[in-house]
Parts: sequence; structure tokens; C-alpha cells
Amino acid sequence: MIRRRLLRRASPEVNCREVGRVLQSYIDGDVESDFAEKIAIHLEQCKHCGLEYETYIRIKDSLADRQNDQIDADAIARLREFGNSLAGD
Amino acid sequence: MPDSPTTELSQREAFDRYVVPEIDVLYRVARSITRNPTDAEDLVQDTMLRAYNAILRFDGRHPRAWLLTIMRNAQINRVRRKRPELLRDPDAAMERLADERSEDEGPEGLVVEREFDAAVETALHTLPEKFRDVVELVDIQGLSYQEAADILGVPTGTIMSRLHRARTRIRKHLESSGAFVNGRPA
Repeated sequence: MIRRRLLRRASPEVNCREVGRVLQSYIDGDVESDFAEKIAIHLEQCKHCGLEYETYIRIKDSLADRQNDQIDADAIARLREFGNSLAGD
Repeated sequence: MPDSPTTELSQREAFDRYVVPEIDVLYRVARSITRNPTDAEDLVQDTMLRAYNAILRFDGRHPRAWLLTIMRNAQINRVRRKRPELLRDPDAAMERLADERSEDEGPEGLVVEREFDAAVETALHTLPEKFRDVVELVDIQGLSYQEAADILGVPTGTIMSRLHRARTRIRKHLESSGAFVNGRPA
């Protein structure tokens, strides 16, 4: 779990460099909640970091979809077989 | 295929004509209703069985609507039997799914999405094996850093480092292949 460095905790905002350093851990939910809230605010306000975030989310979603697609494809193939077995009775 | 009186078809022919082409849609609606792949598959099987038994009484008009009505009744019976307190409204789920599909899967959006996914797939295969293994475990299989570390026998820090570098490489590949511009699909 990523914690914000102690010296920077007093600052209410995070900067682009900090966000860039922990962005992928943030995407994976591996950042402490207080720090994560600050990152979320920064991502809403900073176009550059927001786009960077969006890009990595799209990549992660695309990869995750491969698993779902495989599950769905397997299920649909089994259902087609089931249909054949029904009609074959 | 134009509507034709089911009475002219055998049970098998009618099933192949009206039910089999709808299996994909039935499964996706079932996924939306049940939120669970196993329950979805069971629900579609139940629907197909009911449809097969009733197919010779079907008039051949609007097969999808007919099948969704069967699915709706099957789901109500299943949930009442198993978990009455969790009865989810199948009509609302079907409407929600229709809305999601129309928003997310317009023809152009779908093409862009598929191109993006294809580029990610290509990028994944260009990764060195040790990077690809971590992506496979964390991003595709959904394991935590710790679970991936246990499987691969490396520290979690190594998992994080490899994963982040792998994603950065995928991102660079997407940029160089023109799969997206400025953070958005091209």
C-alpha cells in the first residue's frame, strides 16, 4: 500500500510529479485512502494527468475484458451444445 | 429470415431458426439480470428448454421478445425458489442492458473499441515473458499483487515494478501503432 511521504502530508494538494509516480498503484487500489482522495481531486482538475489516468484505465479494462470475453465465449459455446442436445432428442 | 408459420417447421427446425440465433443475446441479458456467469448460463439453459418445449406453439413473430418473456418468467421462478428476498426486476435489467448497449456499442464505437482491444492484444504479445506473466495474473486474471507474488515467487515490489513497466510498454505500443491519440482511441 502506497503512503504519501511524511513531509508532504501537510500540503493539501498533490502535484503532477507525485501523481505520475503512484498513478498505476492508484489504479490498482493500492494507495492509502487519504492520499487516494487527493489524487482523485487532482485527476479531475488536471487535464494532463486525467488523460494519463484514462489511458491506463482503458488498457486495464481492455485486458480485464479478455478474461470476461473468454468466460462468455465458453458459456455460449456450451449453450450451443446444449441446444444441439435438446434438438437431438 | 422472414416470419413463417412454425407449424410448417419441425420442432428442431423451429428451434434452430428462432432460438439458436438468439443465444448470444439471451446470455448477455442473463448476465445482466443475474450478475453471475454460472447463474446466467443456468438461466439460459432453462429458457432454451422452455422454448424448445413451447416452440411448436410459437407463431414465428418477434422471437427475441418471445424468448425474453420466457426468460423473464424463468428468472422469476428461479429467484422465488432460491432467494425470494433478492428478486431483481428482469424488465428493468433488460432495459438497462439495452441502454448500455446502445450507448457503448454503436457501430462506430464498437469498431474503435475492437481496434483498441486488438492493439492491446498485439502489445501484450510483444512483452517479455516475465512482464506478460504479471499482466496475465493481475490485469487479466484479477489477482492482487500479493497473490501474483506468491505464484511467481518474487516480492510484491517486483510485481508492481514489472506490471507498471509492462503497462507503460503497452501504452507506448498503442501510441506508436496509432491505436489512440491523446489518451483516447483514434
